[in-house]
Parts: sequence; structure tokens; C-alpha cells
Amino acid sequence: MAEKKTFEITRFDPDRDEAPRTETYEIPVEPDWKVLDALNFIKDEIDSSLSHRWSCRMAVCGSCGMMVDGKPTLTCKKPLSEYGNRVSVAPLSNFPIVRDLVTELDGFMDKFQKVKPWIVRAKERAVEEGTHRQSPAELEEFKQFSMCINCMLCYAACPVVTNEPDFLGPAAIALGHRYNMDSRDQGSHERNEIFRGEGTVFSCSYANECSEVCPKHVDPAAAVNQAKLNAVIDWATSFVVSREKE
Amino acid sequence: MARAAHPDAMKPRGPQRTRTAPPTAPAEFPFAGRYRTYTLFDWTGIVYLLAGLVALRVVWALGSGESAWSTLQQQLANPLYLAFHALSLVAVIFVGVRFFRLFPKAQPARIGPVKPPPQPVLHAMLYAAWVVVSGGLALVLAGGIF
Repeated sequence: MAEKKTFEITRFDPDRDEAPRTETYEIPVEPDWKVLDALNFIKDEIDSSLSHRWSCRMAVCGSCGMMVDGKPTLTCKKPLSEYGNRVSVAPLSNFPIVRDLVTELDGFMDKFQKVKPWIVRAKERAVEEGTHRQSPAELEEFKQFSMCINCMLCYAACPVVTNEPDFLGPAAIALGHRYNMDSRDQGSHERNEIFRGEGTVFSCSYANECSEVCPKHVDPAAAVNQAKLNAVIDWATSFVVSREKE
Repeated sequence: MARAAHPDAMKPRGPQRTRTAPPTAPAEFPFAGRYRTYTLFDWTGIVYLLAGLVALRVVWALGSGESAWSTLQQQLANPLYLAFHALSLVAVIFVGVRFFRLFPKAQPARIGPVKPPPQPVLHAMLYAAWVVVSGGLALVLAGGIF
């Protein structure tokens, strides 16, 4: 006989509820289930009105991040066996709640676009000139920061995001830093100005929670704090090196 | 429900398409789980503020003559002062260890052509510097130097 677990799930219907509430479900669970399997069971077998995001089921798409027992968790990756008989599942902290376990992502996308997460070139290379070449050592400098799957667990864990709405946040800064470290990129001055401006990287107080919860070991806290130093060096060198000539 | 986050946390710049519930703060913030260590780290700022005030008082007594200095020395022997200095020591060690743990990975991959040493080496260098500086200060206080 399958073991039973009780799930306390945050529910919110914007058409009916004034504020989020909690609903409880007791379900049989299999030993090899992940947290997401339990949510899918509830939706398929008990309450089809439950809303939650998921897609790949293999910790790649970053859709299924939620607060499980109060911690930001990628639910397709976390075995249910690691929890007790009562498991609470809530939408990601620090995000507006659209419905049940679904959060509003547009604020994240706004921050994301600000850091210009693409390769910036002063002058595009002609096709005949061939591809941009990069050595393994050059790749190694930023590879770790390119492994982010945008699951936003880092935003849900960050106490600065909780209190400072303008803060760019861990994933966006890590991605900006990733392009700053890319040997093919020439946009680091633009990004460093953004890092020093509104939503400044210096708001980060190095709680390190973003790195603790990151399911892909990107270590955004390292990226943010490396970006701080690079932003200062960029500011200092701007007095002696003309940006136009570069 | 957890306590509220800033009402504008992660709010989109444009108008929202549907009514949303306000964001909540992480359930464990600020006093439970791993956040406890972070909050304690923040609170050590109060200890340093008080230690700074004590340092100012010491400087003021030094400039106010011999009797003010000996009065202050007597006051510093008070158990409350001793307890405060013990607390300051604990705060310094706590922040030092936390700083030493997090400092190496905050170093950029390179500054120009210069690469920082590997993280374990940086770690060892920080602790070695701590031992050398502490030893030097202990020698000064014991009258070994100057």
C-alpha cells in the first residue's frame, strides 16, 4: 500500500479570492516521486482547478520552481522522500501571485532585458570573416554563469529582492556578468553602467542565499560580487582610458 | 502565510494583465533557517557601532589628561565592559570567518591579464594574514615591540 502524505497548497483565484488561502490534500505517494509528481496527481485526480507551471520534468526548463516547506525548490528535481508527512507548497516568494502556484514573471523579464543578455559588438563581423573563435580557457571564465535555467529560485531566496524592488537581482546580474566575461563581447562598459546605476549591484549584501538554492550550481552570488569589482574597475579606468577609442 | 515582501517586489514596469496577490517574503526570513546567520551578521554592525563609540571615548580620555585616563581604565575593568569586549571578539571572529568563506569566490576570473590564485590558496592566505596580524598585535600589547 502506498504511503500517504498531506499537502498544504497555497490557492489563489484572482476572480474570487481577496487573498491567498491554503487548501489541504491527502494523497497516496510512490517512493520514487518528486514533489511535482504529487502536484500533478492532485491536479489529475483530485482538483483540476489547481494551477502550477511545469514542462520538461528534468531540471532544464526552470518552470516548476516553488516554495516547498518554505524553501525555493525546483519541484521536478526534489524527491518527495526528503520531506515528512506534511508538505507545504507555495508560489515563489518575492513574486506577485497570478493564480495558485503561478507567479507573475514580467517583472523578472524587465530586469533581464536591462542587462543586455546578448553579445554586443561595436561592429558586426562580416560572414566571410568566419566565426568568432574562443579558446577553452576563455570559455571557462564564464561557462558556470551560462548554466542558469531562469528558474528564479534565487529571486525567491534573496532578502534584497524582498526589500528593494529596483534591485536587478541575482540571475539577471549573473547573466550580464556572463556576457561581460565573454571574449566575443564588447558591451561590458554599457552593462557596467547599468550595474552601477538604477538597481545597482551594490545593493547586494552577499547573503549568499541565491547560490545556496541554485539547482544548477551557477553561484549567482559569486557573479554579483565579481560584477561589483568589475563595475568599480570599469568606473576607475574610464578616467584614464577613452571609451571612444576602444 | 509568510510576512509580506515589498509590495512592488518583482512588479512589472507595464500594467499587469490580471489582478495579482502581493508578493510574500521568504518564510524563513529573517530569523529562521540559514537567514538567521545572515541576520546575525547584519546585527554585528550594532556591536561595531558601540565599539566605535568606546574607541572615541578612549581617544577623548587620552586627550583629557592623566586622571581622565586612569578613571577610564578603572571603568574598562567593569565586568559589563569586559563582557562587551568579549562579545566584540566573538562578533569579529564570526564576521571574519564568514568573510573569509565568501571572499575567494567574489574575485573576478582575471583583472586584465592577472588571474587571482586558486580559491583554496586565497583561503589559506587570508587565514595566514589573520594569524600574522593577530600575532603582531599581541606582541605590541605584550610590550614585545615598541
